Amino acid sequence: MAARGRGAPARWAAVGLLVAVLVALPSVVAALPADDADVPAAELRAAVLASEDVGFSGYAVSAGGLALPVSDRLTAVADLFSDRTLMRVWWRGPEEHRVDVVSGAGEIGAHRNPGGTWTWDFEAGTATRGTPASLALPTPPDLLPAALGRRLLSEAADDELSRAGARRVAGRDALGLRVVPADAASSVGRVDVWVDPASGLPLQVEVFAEDADLPALDTRFLGLELAVPPADVVTFTPPPEATMLTAPDTEELIAQAEERAPDVRLPRELAGLPRRSFQGVPDAVGVYGRGVTLLAAAPVPGRLAGGLREALTASPDAVRDELGTRVAAGPLGLMLVEPAGGPAYVLTGTVTLDALADAARRLPGAAS
Amino acid sequence: MIGVELRTLFRRPRTWATIAVLNALPVLVAVLVQLTDLAPRPGEGPPFLSAVLTNGALFPLAALAIVLPLFLPIAVAVVAGDAVAGEAQAGTLRYLLVRPAGRTRLLVAKLVALMAFVLVTVVVVAAVGYVVGMTLFDAQPVGGGTSVSGTSLSQQELTGRSLMAIGYVTVSMLGVAAFGLFFSTLTDSPLAAALGALAVLVTSSLLFTLDAASPIAPYLPTRYWLAFVDLFRDPVLWRDVVRGLALQGVYVGVLLAAAWANFTTKDVTS
Repeated sequence: MAARGRGAPARWAAVGLLVAVLVALPSVVAALPADDADVPAAELRAAVLASEDVGFSGYAVSAGGLALPVSDRLTAVADLFSDRTLMRVWWRGPEEHRVDVVSGAGEIGAHRNPGGTWTWDFEAGTATRGTPASLALPTPPDLLPAALGRRLLSEAADDELSRAGARRVAGRDALGLRVVPADAASSVGRVDVWVDPASGLPLQVEVFAEDADLPALDTRFLGLELAVPPADVVTFTPPPEATMLTAPDTEELIAQAEERAPDVRLPRELAGLPRRSFQGVPDAVGVYGRGVTLLAAAPVPGRLAGGLREALTASPDAVRDELGTRVAAGPLGLMLVEPAGGPAYVLTGTVTLDALADAARRLPGAAS
Repeated sequence: MIGVELRTLFRRPRTWATIAVLNALPVLVAVLVQLTDLAPRPGEGPPFLSAVLTNGALFPLAALAIVLPLFLPIAVAVVAGDAVAGEAQAGTLRYLLVRPAGRTRLLVAKLVALMAFVLVTVVVVAAVGYVVGMTLFDAQPVGGGTSVSGTSLSQQELTGRSLMAIGYVTVSMLGVAAFGLFFSTLTDSPLAAALGALAVLVTSSLLFTLDAASPIAPYLPTRYWLAFVDLFRDPVLWRDVVRGLALQGVYVGVLLAAAWANFTTKDVTS
């Protein structure tokens, strides 16, 4: 048996070498340098903003670390910003695309065409028809790197932009474009958008809170094919056994809410940010700021304020004082202002807690 | 030698007893669901089980999903752990090696027999699932079914994809078989070898649920097990399926090489 034993070191060495090569392979591939190109930041931003009509199909993942202190009415939105969401996308254009949120045992597919949206939920067996609305809660398609990157860059000023090297994303060389918001009130430290220089498509978007090393939100493509997907992949015909539903009409809900909302006049400026108007946003809601620094203020009926106060105070980081209750989830601040003699307000946005407190003092009827 | 191994394996009553026990759980689940009319709520329970009340043809997939996380790997680990260590414990290993065929060929024969066992087991679970599903639940009136993405699949497409799922689950189990076989060459105790393989699986399943382990998650042997669901999306999502196949290939290759390095130079005394 001694003769047999003699070959052992050589055989084990061969196995060891095989394992070492296999273990090292992923790190070697990941360490492959990306080709940088000398494209100015403003030019890269223009390419991103022009990429809305670029057709593509791909597989993307978004990971959020934002534990939003919201009540159980908004769990879908809260999950979107705190969980890992895997998405398959087929994009023919801004009004014709399909985004499937893939989960272990099911999927929720949103099929958009100019007439509206079909949302298919496999596990619930439902097909929901919705009409396009100018104002809606965030949905998974909004978190696609391409859509989010365009949105975050759309209002960035040239002096807020800089280049940030290059990296490999989804097997492509992506050029880095960094936005550092100029507003003092901003709680966003920086936004890094990694762009495919040929198509202008953002391949990865990372949002960092101020002084944070890890992104509060990271969404990127894992695989991408730059070709217009066939129309039959995007269209949807509900299966016969599906339960058909109609999505609530958000325009009508907003109109109703506006009727019930306390009548207040919001100031023209809050926390140093000027007020602006958006299509679909009711007058009772004030939106302030620009780019990645936004603040929304709205009066809320007492019933809603109670639920919100409960959700906010449950958070261990909540700050309570005479102005109200405020809490930050990564770069997102949320505050409930409850003045003694007037309606309650909710303030939320990508601003610091100090900016929220400053804004609260300027609200009509608030303690100053 | 492969023929001898296959005959030995499938003549053993305990092989068939294992397969029978493995089928008991999905059948029990089917009977309970049928009697109570209570399928798990959507999003809960094993994949596809919530859909079987309306389409019995999906029960083979639900049955596979029921046994895949625990029962199937236990069965495979027990049989794989027995492969070499069982012969050593029974004192028959040295007689096997007296034959001129060589140790490498014996290992390959054992692995092929294991693959056959895995395939037969998975096919039997799916076949029993089909019979149970069609007997206890309603079949879709028009042939075919609905994909996970909500598009309709013809009977032919559904059958094709089900066959692919059976193949995929079989390949997914090969990693377990390779762990069992490797440990089986290390020890003379089949129980220790089987438990070793199970320990690897439990560790892998546990690490997969841990956020802190996410950098190594793509390399965990159980990572892509449930990717067979992706075969029922439309279009098929090949990404995880391909990765799952490649990962199992790597595990089988490395563990077989390690088993070979150990076994061909091992002193066999029993």
